[in-house]
Amino acid sequence: MKHNIIRTILFSTILSFVGLSSCKKKIEDAYLNPNAPVLVPIETVLPGVIGGFTAFNSAAGTNYGLQIDDVLLGRYVQYWGSTVAGENYGSMGGTIGSDNTGGIWATTYYGHGQNVNYIIQKGTEQQKWDFVGVGYAIRAWDWLELTNQYGDAILKQAFDVSRAQFLYDTQPEFYDSCRAICFKALENLNRTDGNVNPANLAASDAYLNNGDLNKWKKFVYGILARSYIDLSSKNIFVSKNYADSAIKYATLSLSNNNENILATFSGLNTSNGFNSYFGPTRSNIGTIRQGGYIANLMSGANTGAFTGVSDPRAGYMLSENAAGTFKGVAPWLGVSEYISGTTPTSGYPKNFWRNPVVSATSGTDDSAKYVFGNRGPWPIMTASEMQFVLAEAAYRKGDKTAALAAYKNGISLNFDMLTTTFSFKIPASRVITATSKNAYLNNPAVVPATAAGITLTHIMLQKYIALFGWGTHQTWTDMRKYHYVDIDPATGNKVYADFTPPPTSPINYLITTNNGKYVYRCRPRFNSEYLYNIPELTRIGALNTDYNTYECWFSMP
Amino acid sequence: MTKFFTRLAVCLFFFFPLIANAQTTISGKVINDKKNPVIGATVVVKGKGTQSNSSGGFTIVASKGDILTVTSVGFTSQSIKVGNETNLVIELQEASIKLDDVEIVTAMDIKRNSRELGYSVQTVKGSDIQQTQRENFVNALQGRVAGLTITPTSGTAGASSGIVLRGFNTISGTNQPLFVVDGIILDNQTLNSNSQSGSGIGLASDGNNRNNDNTNRIADLNPNDIENVTVLKGPEATALYGSQASSGAIVITTKKAKGTDGKVLISYDNSFRYQKETRFGVVNNDFGPGSSNNIPFTSPNATGSFTSFGPRWKPGTTFYDNLHHFFQTGFSQTHNLSAEFGVKNVAFRATGQFFDSKGVVPNNTYRKYNFKLANTTKIGNKLTINPSIAFTNATNIRPLKSSASGSGAGGYLVELYEWPANNDIRNFEDNLGNKNVLFNTNRNSDFDNPLWSAKYNKSGDVLNRVVSTVGIDYTPLTWLSLSGRFGYDYYKNDGYLFVHPESFQLTQATGGSLDNYYRTYKGYNHTITATAKKKFGDFSTRLLTGTVWQDFETQQFAIVGNNLIDSFGKVNNNMYKFGMVIPSDFLNTYDSSNTARISRRRLLQNNRGLPNVNIFRELAFFGEVSIGFKNVAFLTYSHRFESASPIPKQNRNYNYPGASLSLIMSDIFPAIKKGNILNYAKIRASLASTARLNDPYSNQRFFVNNFSSTNLPTTYTYNFTNANLDLKPEKQKTFEIGTELRFLNSRLSIEGAYYNTLCKDQIAQGYRASYATGSVLNTTNAASLRNQGVELTLNATPVRRKDFEWNINFNFSHMWSEVLTLPESIGQLNDFYNSDTYISNVRGGLIRGRSTGSITGSNYIRNNAGQIVISSLNGVPLINGGTNVFIGDRTPDFTLGTLNTFRYKNLSLSFLWDLKVGGDIYNGTDQLLTNLGKSIRTADRSTPIVVKGVLNDGLQNTANPTVNTLAIVPQYSSTYYTSLPDEEFIQKDVNWFRLRDLTLSYSLPSKTIKNLKAFKSLSLFVTGNDLILFTNYYGADPAVNANNPGTGGVGGYGLDLGSAPTPLGLNFGLRANFK
Repeated sequence: MKHNIIRTILFSTILSFVGLSSCKKKIEDAYLNPNAPVLVPIETVLPGVIGGFTAFNSAAGTNYGLQIDDVLLGRYVQYWGSTVAGENYGSMGGTIGSDNTGGIWATTYYGHGQNVNYIIQKGTEQQKWDFVGVGYAIRAWDWLELTNQYGDAILKQAFDVSRAQFLYDTQPEFYDSCRAICFKALENLNRTDGNVNPANLAASDAYLNNGDLNKWKKFVYGILARSYIDLSSKNIFVSKNYADSAIKYATLSLSNNNENILATFSGLNTSNGFNSYFGPTRSNIGTIRQGGYIANLMSGANTGAFTGVSDPRAGYMLSENAAGTFKGVAPWLGVSEYISGTTPTSGYPKNFWRNPVVSATSGTDDSAKYVFGNRGPWPIMTASEMQFVLAEAAYRKGDKTAALAAYKNGISLNFDMLTTTFSFKIPASRVITATSKNAYLNNPAVVPATAAGITLTHIMLQKYIALFGWGTHQTWTDMRKYHYVDIDPATGNKVYADFTPPPTSPINYLITTNNGKYVYRCRPRFNSEYLYNIPELTRIGALNTDYNTYECWFSMP
Repeated sequence: MTKFFTRLAVCLFFFFPLIANAQTTISGKVINDKKNPVIGATVVVKGKGTQSNSSGGFTIVASKGDILTVTSVGFTSQSIKVGNETNLVIELQEASIKLDDVEIVTAMDIKRNSRELGYSVQTVKGSDIQQTQRENFVNALQGRVAGLTITPTSGTAGASSGIVLRGFNTISGTNQPLFVVDGIILDNQTLNSNSQSGSGIGLASDGNNRNNDNTNRIADLNPNDIENVTVLKGPEATALYGSQASSGAIVITTKKAKGTDGKVLISYDNSFRYQKETRFGVVNNDFGPGSSNNIPFTSPNATGSFTSFGPRWKPGTTFYDNLHHFFQTGFSQTHNLSAEFGVKNVAFRATGQFFDSKGVVPNNTYRKYNFKLANTTKIGNKLTINPSIAFTNATNIRPLKSSASGSGAGGYLVELYEWPANNDIRNFEDNLGNKNVLFNTNRNSDFDNPLWSAKYNKSGDVLNRVVSTVGIDYTPLTWLSLSGRFGYDYYKNDGYLFVHPESFQLTQATGGSLDNYYRTYKGYNHTITATAKKKFGDFSTRLLTGTVWQDFETQQFAIVGNNLIDSFGKVNNNMYKFGMVIPSDFLNTYDSSNTARISRRRLLQNNRGLPNVNIFRELAFFGEVSIGFKNVAFLTYSHRFESASPIPKQNRNYNYPGASLSLIMSDIFPAIKKGNILNYAKIRASLASTARLNDPYSNQRFFVNNFSSTNLPTTYTYNFTNANLDLKPEKQKTFEIGTELRFLNSRLSIEGAYYNTLCKDQIAQGYRASYATGSVLNTTNAASLRNQGVELTLNATPVRRKDFEWNINFNFSHMWSEVLTLPESIGQLNDFYNSDTYISNVRGGLIRGRSTGSITGSNYIRNNAGQIVISSLNGVPLINGGTNVFIGDRTPDFTLGTLNTFRYKNLSLSFLWDLKVGGDIYNGTDQLLTNLGKSIRTADRSTPIVVKGVLNDGLQNTANPTVNTLAIVPQYSSTYYTSLPDEEFIQKDVNWFRLRDLTLSYSLPSKTIKNLKAFKSLSLFVTGNDLILFTNYYGADPAVNANNPGTGGVGGYGLDLGSAPTPLGLNFGLRANFK
């Protein structure tokens, strides 16, 4: 009997050692997530990154990008306003305690972030220099958009995965870094060796540049051009050759409408990522209405620019009202002036999807025109914009002849973009013809007869119109350069003629925490920074209630 | 590994009987001094035991010369040497010292004498649980165990309940205890809606836990099968169970098959329950719709929300009592049937339960069937095997609290409060089945009527579960026993979440949404122990070694889609399929084939036709050495070595010790027993470490699907979480000291304990560092906290007469905690939080130096002197809304459960009062109502208010700030209401005194029974649940939880928004034993 026990114990001991090692293996087998891949082809990562320009959409987070912030920032520049009176952004308020206006922050660090790093790293290993170049181009765009929106942000310590706290860097560092990365992008985009394969890139890039490396290069030049023209209100703009650089890169950049950088959407189904954030299916902008400023500017009601001229583009870009005219709202009043009877109700603007019921917040199928449709296109950068860069830089240099030529070219390109890219859903009565275009271009109230007549107001307001809808970020940068209401010494009038930020008297419509100042930057994204990094936010003043009014470096003299 | 132990078990089976001694089966009867049978007495031979049945009878296998020990609560134990006689009558004497040598089932299904234990355990009898008639038996434990807190998610049928022992020990992992049934670990998951971007096992829509509730799976257990529940709170008790029991263990012993001398004993009981909702939030209905500020117009109501800042209703307006039109009388019925049969060495017990409930919320039903078959077989006199198989089928339909992707604000309850008083909610659809609208032509832009919402926005699930277990006990030698517990827990749980195409929660273009999930759980675990006991003179020793293997796998298919077939674009917005209008209750509404194919999303692996899986595996070895001296002093040391799959390899092997000491002072110094005042005194101390793990895969970075426009079949994006390949298990150290005292012949007993738990290297899972990492979330060892508490239990029998007895039991608990460290990236005054607890802007945030129950949110801006700073422009206070700061603490000052039991002849009455004193509650419902102008706060809006404080004019921090004199008339400035900070909605020090359960039962006298030939006994009962609530809370019910237990960390208790309050319940039924 004893013998039996000893044998059993011995037997069990041996067995348990065998069992132990097999258990350890089973435990190790269960460690890694069996459901998700760790390595994927970079070709499958780029489409999501491209979607991230407008509105990132993935299983791990949605709605970071230009379009998300534009809905709110468009109220600062008065492209549109909410229907509600006293609405925060219409009153130039900043974001407090939410992720609103944090879209570009999240795109840069997260939506693009490590995904772009992965494309660059793996692309380099696999000698797919086209992908590497595209990766750098996107990163350069990120840095510029980021710093223009938020001012100080994290640059040197960005993407350090072992770090829990991050220090902020200043705006000039972002500008320098953006340009340096632009050159890296160009260096790679120019390569044809290794595994560069345009067809391969095109499959991933189907909804932006369709693998056209030339367009990607022009996009990079456009970023460089923006990085110089954004400094146009600095005293050193001309003396430090920033103006020349702006001209150089704008010239190298997009030159015709075929080269426009247009984000498009498959519209394959109602799923968010397949439809534009501004489209009726996603129904995000039903409660905003076009601004009175843009409506007046395009219908001849502005007293300081294009007065009395009915802009044929209005039928493409704006929403008419029941009376068939173009009216808008003051973003801080919403539609209250219509409801209260101050302005006739027949002027109440329809929403951007042109639902015939003026108060409706939804669209009717895809009745939307211009950039407000489900499939876009949503311009990221256009040839027309580059002409206005040229015009402003030349004007600053005192070369009014070049300025006038570029100015006229910019308007013309914008007309052509409408009639080619955005010709859908336009009622016959509003279709732009060669005649109507020429009439506009030859109207001295729009295009001065001589170079001597051109003013900053001309250039900046035509750029304002040309970027309507999609170019909110750039327009906000432009307007901040001129502090919204700066006077052009050449004319004695506001550069942005007739532009009125939320008034402070007789009733104060400017959000009270601004302490009487206009908005100049956004707070860093709430969920990224305000749970974290309090010491650093304190240092830069981001916890102050008026941090949104701190002017950025780019617009300082 | 599994195979190995199966083989070992086979070895044990076949080898050991061969070497067994000749044994005989002894049957007997246990009686008291009045010759009445003693039911449930424990009869033990060599560490193996049985219990006397309802007639006091028992059978047990023993050898000649063995010592038979018979114990029962309230009696002196008796030991009898086994002789030739095989039919014994054992008479027990009523004990002067009660509860002395009670055997308690501790960790690893090991029964130990309570004297030896150096830690705190508390036992609740199964019958006490059963008589509460609560379908989720864990709800019956509240108030009965000191230091145990149960928080039901809501008052709906099938609601889950969070269980926390001795406070919150981890900031993001689970704080739920381990459930062990007959030595087998059973799954108590609650479906976590979050699928970690499709890489986990949640919903394909990757929702959160604020919006829906799912049953916690231990509720599948039939309460009627429970013999008793032992709650292991102490450190040493759980050290043996390891990391999964770091929040304690609830050890359940089920009723075992007993010998019936060949008779089939049948018992039946039933219960019928009516439930009624009686507690509501306070709503003001004086004002009609209007946007704001009493500007003399009402804008076309563009948003579909019912902001009631409009004019006062005109006199004569008809109002409807919508609150009462919404809730219905709930009804449920329970039927239990059990049969016992046994011959000499083989006994069977079969039980079945049918439970069917219709909740107080319309369209909320819960139906459950339980069957169990248990067997006890003795082979020879050394081997006992206890196989069992249990089956559960449950179907639960629940209206959604909110949409799958919503923020928790919404759902039927909030809608009910918001609904305009001049509209009758009962009129919610037209004769074509369309949602009636109030303000909008577009149904999706108009708020959902609560009745409509409860009918059409709902979720449901079906569960089928089989738990099979085998317990093997083998005693080859007098000093050695081996035991094995093998269990396989398997279930399928299929469910859906459905949001109707016309719901406000979705756009018209979305066309409704439907989540489906198909979950399979397979959990195998076994525990094998060997125990050796030897006496050396005055010393008794016990050595235990063992191993545990766990292999738990959850598989899930999940799919979400929208655009339910032809659901819009057709006439009347009816739902169509194949050109036919689909009635709302058609059978397959909840079938994923009704969604538009192109809109469907699945969990990552599901795209390849495979389930997503979540696997947890753990191997542990442990040992325990106990030394007893003269049966008065006991020292135990234990050690556990563990290895578990969620931890990266280099940190995967960890171990921890535990030790405890028990001294029976009354026996060491017998002098203290003089005068028969103090009869028993024990002091005890224990100390142990344990570990706690992260969720599987939570430290890994990988790719998930991207949904941008593309021509490629699948595209990818990095997931939310930063990789941390150096993650370590959390370390938890606890010490506990306590005492047990019994006075006056044990008529009064007191037990006290103090514990102190330090949790270090806490795994902060899902915390948000800067996105500059390139990730949104991080998992790191980055926090520590300390948890302390005092528990007191008092049992008294003030009256004990022949016909009348009164027992009273108090369970007191006071706990406090402090967050010591957090990830360094979180500011000193800022919080770590679990985003699931983000209710509106408020959340259960953790701040250094504060309690784990902290609530964070926005507060008033105050000057250096603490005065509220007020805008000098309009007199409205300034709000600090940028970051969440401390605004309240949910931790109660103390809780006290008081259980009274009266017995008068055949009548018995018991009731449990649950007292909670202190602890703050966030009334999110009131905040929402205030924002809408429907809170009682907004009733008087025409009286000017001058907010007490100072003006924000630059002087606010000087010696002479300007005192505010600016008056606001809220009628003209609703922003005063809409911008109130969260701190305004924290109610400080909420107390409650709640009559949880009250049972009156009456057993028919034996004379009467004799005339009813079929019955052996028959009793009738009435039970009330939550009948009385005294509280200073101004909301509906302070026992709320905004999350379900699927949320890790501290969770959403004390956050009140949109959860249906606990209804009042009245049960009645009968209990019968048949001859």
